[in-house]
Amino acid sequence: MGSLLSQIWTVIVMNIRSLPKRLWMSLAAVFAVSVVVAVLLSFLAMANGFEQTLAGTGSEKIGIISRKGSRSELNSTVSRDNINILATAPGIARDADNNPVYSAELYVIVNGIKRTTQTEVNLPLRGISLGGFELRDTVEIVAGRQFEPGRNELIVGQGVLAEFDGFELGREVRFGKTTWKVVGVFSTGGSAFESELWADALTVQTQFQRGTTFQTMRVLLEEPGNIEGIKQLAEDDPRMNLDVETEAAYFAEQGSALRGIVVFGWGLSIVMALGALAGALNTMYTSVASRGTEIATLRAIGFSNMSAFFGTLAESIVLSIIGGIVGALVSYLFLDGVTASTLGASFSQVVFDFQMSPQLFKNGIILALIIGLVGGVFPAWRAARLPVTLAFKNSM
Amino acid sequence: MSSLYLVFKNLTRSKLRLFLTLFATFIAFMVYGTLTAFQMALNAGVELSADDRLIVVNKIHFTQSLPISHFNKVKSVEGVDAVTHLNWFGGYYQDPQKLFTMMAVDPESFLDVYDDYVLTPAEAEAWLKNRQGLIAGESVARTFGWKVGDRIPINSNIFSQRDGSTVWDFDVVAIYRGKDEQSDSNSVYFHYKYFNETQSFGGNFIGWMGVRTTSPDKNEQVVNAIDDLFANTPAETDTMPEVAFNKAFIEQIGNIGLILTSVVVAAFFIILVIVGNSMVLSIRERTNEIGVMKTLGFTSPAIFRMVLAESVAIAMIGGLLGLLAARGLIHLISNAPIQLPPLIMDGTSVFKAILIMLALGLITGIVPAVNALRLNIVTALSRS
Amino acid sequence: MSDEILFELKNVAKKFVKGTESIAVFDNLNMSIKKGDFLAIMGPSGSGKTTLLNLLGGVDKPTAGEINFDGKRVDTLSEGQLAAWRANNIGFIFQFYNLMPMLNANRNVELPLLLTRLGKQQRKKNVAAALELVNLSDRARHMPSEMSGGQQQRVAIARALVSDPKLLLCDEPTGDLDRETADEILGILQLLNSKFGKTIVMVTHDPQAAKYAKRTLHLDKGQFVEKDLAA
Repeated sequence: MGSLLSQIWTVIVMNIRSLPKRLWMSLAAVFAVSVVVAVLLSFLAMANGFEQTLAGTGSEKIGIISRKGSRSELNSTVSRDNINILATAPGIARDADNNPVYSAELYVIVNGIKRTTQTEVNLPLRGISLGGFELRDTVEIVAGRQFEPGRNELIVGQGVLAEFDGFELGREVRFGKTTWKVVGVFSTGGSAFESELWADALTVQTQFQRGTTFQTMRVLLEEPGNIEGIKQLAEDDPRMNLDVETEAAYFAEQGSALRGIVVFGWGLSIVMALGALAGALNTMYTSVASRGTEIATLRAIGFSNMSAFFGTLAESIVLSIIGGIVGALVSYLFLDGVTASTLGASFSQVVFDFQMSPQLFKNGIILALIIGLVGGVFPAWRAARLPVTLAFKNSM
Repeated sequence: MSSLYLVFKNLTRSKLRLFLTLFATFIAFMVYGTLTAFQMALNAGVELSADDRLIVVNKIHFTQSLPISHFNKVKSVEGVDAVTHLNWFGGYYQDPQKLFTMMAVDPESFLDVYDDYVLTPAEAEAWLKNRQGLIAGESVARTFGWKVGDRIPINSNIFSQRDGSTVWDFDVVAIYRGKDEQSDSNSVYFHYKYFNETQSFGGNFIGWMGVRTTSPDKNEQVVNAIDDLFANTPAETDTMPEVAFNKAFIEQIGNIGLILTSVVVAAFFIILVIVGNSMVLSIRERTNEIGVMKTLGFTSPAIFRMVLAESVAIAMIGGLLGLLAARGLIHLISNAPIQLPPLIMDGTSVFKAILIMLALGLITGIVPAVNALRLNIVTALSRS
Repeated sequence: MSDEILFELKNVAKKFVKGTESIAVFDNLNMSIKKGDFLAIMGPSGSGKTTLLNLLGGVDKPTAGEINFDGKRVDTLSEGQLAAWRANNIGFIFQFYNLMPMLNANRNVELPLLLTRLGKQQRKKNVAAALELVNLSDRARHMPSEMSGGQQQRVAIARALVSDPKLLLCDEPTGDLDRETADEILGILQLLNSKFGKTIVMVTHDPQAAKYAKRTLHLDKGQFVEKDLAA
């Protein structure tokens, strides 16, 4: 029935136009919803930013070999012998001289000072060979120069410079008894590598008494994503106890470390949404009560009770969606792009940005919509069942 | 009939509205109670740190090891009452994702320096005697279903045995409780000797040392003495009070305190607005009645107090129920098979919560109470 | 007034249950209203005037008996059918006008037309005609809050008229107005009856107002009592 739709539409328009009359009550509902959405999106944006940073770190073109079950570069050890054997594995890309492209790397943790809190934090120092630069084609020296193999020289990621003190270009840094000089700053396009300090692998091996062991081996894959040849070789040799993964898979797993935050954020927001729901219900019941005569009059004129129902429901939904949008905008304006750092899976600081996304925005609006729906449906039911005789009774 | 009776009658006149405002308050205080418990648990490591304990780590970083010879040298430093050493093992049971704190220690000196672990003399004895014995905290034992007498295989994600295997077998000889309700019971400790003899990395290194000084006043002196002792050796040390170490470690994770506090403040803001508005409305609806009461001889201050009593009652009832629910929730979480630091709600946080309830009650009631106070009888009765 | 019967109540009873008590407003009420009638119903408070009006308007249902409108039973219709029936046949005029505060006069009058299939242009024409009839064309764009009580009531009459219902039901239409304005409103109602043949039922307790009607029925304790007021 076309006229039912136009009835409903008329009532919706009327209700929404009369919102200013119930300004404070309506604002209370909007505010409650916006706070809930802002809380939710803050947690989601944090987890999302962390995940995106680590997801952007790993490449499908690179294979990473580590000790079985180590789960992080810090815990892993790979011997020189194993590296020599694996370098011959099929599936590793070769350079112009037909040598396999790989990098044996070390990963040790040193102290840094977090700028915002002036407290000591764990920073990763990566020992890397020149092959490691061939592998990582996104690396760019943005200031200073490359370290020289065999010397105590460091280059530092941009994220380190932004978040931590003591690693400015030209600075001398002491790790225990050894002194190192910062000679360059590098960028990798926003990945977790930018939270690291890099130095020559063999120098790190000597200065940190690592003998001939490394911690991980990275190889350039002939065919992106295809690690089968290397895996086969590692599994066939009983002396090896190694995991082979693409770097992308490795970092994706580390990126899930903040999944708990997502669950926590959702749990908390849902509980708080129940509080906001109480507010929405309160607002909408009050709205129905204050519109009682209007609703009954329309019914007397011949409007159906469906129009009263949907009119009320729409009012509630409009309020909560406004709240949702406000909450999302506030969290976008105040949090999107804010830089933070936390301990990652490798026991070292990972610098990341809070990142809002359309998907997160959608989540926030859906939560708001649910509050609006549930908060509207019961009062709407009451509106639909208001006796028409109410229209004659306002002469108290 | 007292005015308290009137307050009660006013409160309950609209059952639905009362329920909704109580519910909003309830939720906010449940969030407060639970998050406060989390925050306290996070700080517990700092709060429970002993004044007379120091930590000695490698100066480069605490993940770098120290030679075991350092241990013997520290023993004889003046002002050191007892010293023990620990090695991080990177242990996991079955699932590599479920890491827990597992350390190789020298049991005798460990139990001496760290008196936070409650074991009976018989249990301690059993542990000292069994080279493959481990002691596990209540929480970690519950998570994995370990019982005393179980023989369990544990993997290391760092170390290997000489034969290349990464699995060690252990006997669960005791399950310890923390001395304090908030003490950590998520850790597992086993014999350093067993570790040192079986792992393949070359032996005789330790992770760090725990030192008890003869008195907290001696701390500074001992810190300097230890660090001077190893200056200019290949493994220089950094010695600091336990509390400083724990604090720095918590802060590495990020400013969790700020996050939790913001959420709690947000929750309170929501109820402030919802309850405040609801109070304003409910008083406005009563304009006429308040006018009648005034004509009956109720003084304006009396009416003012009654309105405030109503809003404070809502905050208190909802708030206390919320705290009660938080207690239940904390209990539930603490007994769930997940590894979390022990959560508790102590007197201080309850006291703080009650202060907040009072403040919320007064703030939400003040506007309608002032409106009621100012209400002129003539306008009240004509406005219908 | 023709001889055709528009409304007929047969043996109508209406009881309200309040707690354990049951109060009978009507036991056995019979009445008929002819097309073109202008009927005033008077009576003291509690006599059943409002209940009768609710029954006639189809916003309440009798406990027993039957109500026929234009030869069809209406007391057996469902809520939804009643709403549609009201939209087609009844125009309401309330004591407190019951205009939608956020709509201007034009849009208030247009409301009932939204329930019809009329197009936008046609609706506009009908609204203009209805406002013209109550002599309020110059206030078409005013909000209710910008109008006097008498003007608001005239908008309400226009709203009741605009869909050309067979019956106008007026509940104390002048109860909230001063004498002069009341006379003006009653004059309009009388004109609608005499010139346009609208059937009107008006509940009032103002004897002056009742004088504008063609006949007056007195209700007391749920019964019509004969009383010649003309005397």
